[in-house]
Amino acid sequence: MLASRAFSLIGRRSICTSLCLRAHGHAGVVKADDFTLPAYVDRRDVPLPEVAFVRDLSAQQKALKEKEKASWTALSVDEKVELYRIKFNETYAEMNRGTNEWKTVLGGVLFFLGLTGVILIWQKHFMYGPIPHTFSEEWLSAQTKRMLDMRVNPVEGISSQWDYEKNEWKK
Amino acid sequence: LARSIQHTSVRQAHRKYEPDFHDKYGNLVLLGGAAVFTTVWGYVLTQLGMEWGLSPVGRITPREWRE
Repeated sequence: MLASRAFSLIGRRSICTSLCLRAHGHAGVVKADDFTLPAYVDRRDVPLPEVAFVRDLSAQQKALKEKEKASWTALSVDEKVELYRIKFNETYAEMNRGTNEWKTVLGGVLFFLGLTGVILIWQKHFMYGPIPHTFSEEWLSAQTKRMLDMRVNPVEGISSQWDYEKNEWKK
Repeated sequence: LARSIQHTSVRQAHRKYEPDFHDKYGNLVLLGGAAVFTTVWGYVLTQLGMEWGLSPVGRITPREWRE
């Protein structure tokens, strides 16, 4: 009921949506929106898209399409390329082209890793106390000798790295 | 909406593309980031005075501890 009122062509006073307004010349058929029609797409796995890239041809292009109906040997290289560009947007080479995006990505990553280092600087300056005396060269040398004398971790650990015959670290 | 090929590139039959952000600034970002990274971490690792707790193996010469 409502539909027949909307599309009625009997008086000019039918209720219309904006779509109906465009359809007045088409016997009550609603014009299809672009997104409902087959679309062009540049994809590696779609070698022949559903429609040509250029939908509305200029007069020059229309003439060229007429010429295409005759023998192709009559076409110049430029004309062949133009025919290609009517049908397709990018070539496979253009479609597959690489970018310089990796530079931005890597540069950004390195920058933010650098910011992490700034955090460490802040921590050392504002937060950490003095380094304990047990880390001084004097203490560590005595500590190390004591560990070696005790044969700490002799199988795979620190004592296994010390040559007790030559009295030096193993090479 | 006919897109005609630039006359200068007819021989190549390829498009000329407008440079994007990565084309314009990619090198700058990469080198800038690398510079920030190396300066900051160079400083942190050597000058800041952090105790990294490195292994004594091959580094510390043992010294007599008994008194």
